[in-house]
Amino acid sequence: MKRFPWLALIMLVLGVGVGVFYSWFIAPAPIQETSPHTLRADFKDELRSLIAASYASSGNLERARARLALLGDADALAALNAQAQRMLAADEAFESVQQVARLAADLQKPPPEPASTATRLPTRTSAPSSTRQTAFVVPVTAQTTETIIPEQIIEPPATLSTPTPRPTRTSTPLPGRAYELIAQDTLCEAGLQEGLLQVLVTDARRKQVAGAEIIVTWDGGEERFFTGFKPELGNGYADFVMQVGVLYTVRVGTGGAPVTNVSPPGCLAEDGASYTGAIRLSFQQP
Amino acid sequence: MSRWLAPLLALLIGIALGLVYGWVVSPVEYVDTTPDTLRADYRADYVLMVAEAYRTEQDPALAARRLAILGSQAPGEIASQGLEDARRIGFSEADLDLLQKLTTAMQAWQGETP
Repeated sequence: MKRFPWLALIMLVLGVGVGVFYSWFIAPAPIQETSPHTLRADFKDELRSLIAASYASSGNLERARARLALLGDADALAALNAQAQRMLAADEAFESVQQVARLAADLQKPPPEPASTATRLPTRTSAPSSTRQTAFVVPVTAQTTETIIPEQIIEPPATLSTPTPRPTRTSTPLPGRAYELIAQDTLCEAGLQEGLLQVLVTDARRKQVAGAEIIVTWDGGEERFFTGFKPELGNGYADFVMQVGVLYTVRVGTGGAPVTNVSPPGCLAEDGASYTGAIRLSFQQP
Repeated sequence: MSRWLAPLLALLIGIALGLVYGWVVSPVEYVDTTPDTLRADYRADYVLMVAEAYRTEQDPALAARRLAILGSQAPGEIASQGLEDARRIGFSEADLDLLQKLTTAMQAWQGETP
């Protein structure tokens, strides 16, 4: 009876171990053909800013959404809000911060309804050439006499046999209606910072809106900030500290109806002492 | 001699299998990569984003700075490479037009910049 080739089997297993060790630790495959989700955090920030700048120019929300998805963030909206906050803290250009915040705000809008019943879905897929995990999907919508919702799927681009033209960009989504003041509350509560102006922004469905720009102006000054930077208080929340004796005008976005003569209210404590209270303004899209 | 031939062959086959597994089947996944390692279609889309932003901003220095993170080549070359990849991949005419404009602008900007 012939003996089982134990030695050959052991050598085979040993060889596999040596090969894997060499290819993982000594000479790993060179870095090439990576996808955006593997980028370093600061490059992801750069990419988010660029996506926002590109969106500000093209108005193509679906394309921006698809590009953000490639970054692999668990919550793209939170990532954008956090980045806007970091940009503000780093004193980056207001225009850039605004673009990021606007994209965050627009991402919360429901997708637009198709313009007509005709729908076409051209798809393009190239043959994969290597180990690739994520497909690159850039859906784009166009609003013309018919709706074209093409979807481009590009896997590894080594050999492209049947190219299908990419779709042209969509028209800019219609902006929502201007926010209006629905409530103004004086807050005389212990623990609140004196002169605090709280702003709460909701959309037409009473859902809090992150990334809404709040513009506060007063005689000789202006301050702009965004909702959503204190998510623990709500995505549509933002605040600002007012000075006693100064009258402020507050509005949401450049087209919002201004609320004038806002100033810190006076409050009376139980012992009769007076102190400065806070104000809450609630804005909603009609 | 023939006694060692089979184990030796088994070792070589094992090494080959291990290399295929480590390089092809389950290669090392890199994290914290830089944009110059992005796959060609992602790079082309990045250049397209720069082109889309440039259309409104009309700031060649800003566009060049954005393109610079894709490599050490001149911005005109990076844009041109992006345009070439976009053509190969099959971007739309409108996107190709934007990329062409960016490439031209970058090449002109390089000419003006000392």
